[in-house]
Amino acid sequence: MPLRILLSAMLALIFCATPALAETPPGPGPKDRCAVCGMFVAPYPNWVAVIQFEDGTNAYFDGPKDMFIYYFDFEKFRPASKIADISNIYVTEYYTTRLMKAEEVFFVTGSDILGPMGNELVPVQGLEQAKTFLRDHDGKKIMQFDGKNLTERPADR
Amino acid sequence: MRHLKILEYALSSLWRRKYKNMAIILVYAFTIAVLASILFLTHALKTEASFLLAEAPELVVQRVSAGRHELIPLEYGDRIRKIPGVAEVHPRFWGYYYDALVEANYTLLEANADHTPLEMLDGHLPAAPGECAIGSGVAAVRKIGPGDDLILVDSTNMGIVFEVTGVFRSPSDLLTNDLVILDRADLIEFFGTPPDLATDISVRVNNPKEINTIAEKIKRQMPDSRPISRSEILRTYAAVFNWRSGMMLSVFAAALVAFCILAWDKATGISAEEKREIGILKAVGWETSDILELKFWEGMAVSLTSLLLGLLAAYVHVFFLGATVLTPVIKGWSVLFPTFRLIPFIDPYQILVIGFLTVPPYVASTVIPSWKAAITDPETAMRG
Repeated sequence: MPLRILLSAMLALIFCATPALAETPPGPGPKDRCAVCGMFVAPYPNWVAVIQFEDGTNAYFDGPKDMFIYYFDFEKFRPASKIADISNIYVTEYYTTRLMKAEEVFFVTGSDILGPMGNELVPVQGLEQAKTFLRDHDGKKIMQFDGKNLTERPADR
Repeated sequence: MRHLKILEYALSSLWRRKYKNMAIILVYAFTIAVLASILFLTHALKTEASFLLAEAPELVVQRVSAGRHELIPLEYGDRIRKIPGVAEVHPRFWGYYYDALVEANYTLLEANADHTPLEMLDGHLPAAPGECAIGSGVAAVRKIGPGDDLILVDSTNMGIVFEVTGVFRSPSDLLTNDLVILDRADLIEFFGTPPDLATDISVRVNNPKEINTIAEKIKRQMPDSRPISRSEILRTYAAVFNWRSGMMLSVFAAALVAFCILAWDKATGISAEEKREIGILKAVGWETSDILELKFWEGMAVSLTSLLLGLLAAYVHVFFLGATVLTPVIKGWSVLFPTFRLIPFIDPYQILVIGFLTVPPYVASTVIPSWKAAITDPETAMRG
């Protein structure tokens, strides 16, 4: 009996620890500039997007829009690397202002919430909340990123 | 070297007429002290308020009934928590208490609410029923400290004894000086608050862009609620203090005008003796420009001395004497407040404004008439 408790406790520990293992990248330093537009990133903590590379370097962006511009024109911005060198892509979720993986959130376009570079793809976690955001802020479309492409979610609203 | 000599001459000629100049400096400094006191005080109060509200929750939700603040049902908090973007929701319990013994108002607050960081001078926050922690202002007016008892009269007119476990002070004295912190259960019992009701609800929001949307949603879902955002509170504070200081300034505008008349009279009405002096200086070979420089230095010396004296007096008045003369008007409702010390915040911009409003007009009003005297023929000037 005590063994089972111990085991389940360990299991619980492992499950709790797993999200922490996938370490979110450190926040941008005061000198970090957006890799696309060249603006300083640190003054806009609620918009930061980060591309993490396998070699441990990070590219910072002052919004998901610039991050996608970079990603979809990768050879132009970082000719020395390949798409495969990217380990993770993080964006700052709108409601919680925490960094989350780009694959785990929905992107709402055309809303009245403007980022540092104007119109943005606003990252929102959870479909229910994304729909709420779309309604509250006059959004146009809900997009999803599957690790390769950014596609519109089938209209089901 | 030449300029230094002229400066030396200017200072010694000021000294020759020391009573007249001292009178001017005194009145001049007084006017500046009044102006600067008002500006310093309002600025310090505004800075204190923003200091205080920096840690305040993004939204405070009150319930309004018949246009008045009412207790809010705890169930509202659960509904607010479901709105996306809301990080934390805390019902708060607090109230005012008038202490007839020392004629002061206290603010009674529950322990563990997410209030501003409190610096304990002595002891600790209440951990058990029957304990309380008090602000340094309350400790001073009641002359009590940790280990003593604080007796407050509750809603049923019963004297309740609380043991003081700590005295605290927070970075800003403005609203924490009069605090008494009680255990939540004690506070509810003390005020006789019905169960399931709180004084108001504090709401933390992660994304500042979402605050207005959340406030709108709260208002829509609970039409009898009144969400107040932090920026609204700040704006109100600023407006109230600006309005009061504007009122004060207009009252003292009369004093300012009186000073201007005096300065004009003293400085422009060049006496026959001064005209003679200018004539002699010209006769011994001084240029008109030297005389203008002399008068310029004289004006500068008088007005800079007065400015410095006035600012110093205002600083002492506001930050050491607690603005004794102005507080009844500026603070208004808080006359019954235990007294508090303001933190000296000074805006260099305000000093510049005061300096520019007083120094150049005075210098100009001394230089221009002597320029008129200096361009007349020395002989006529000497004859008067």
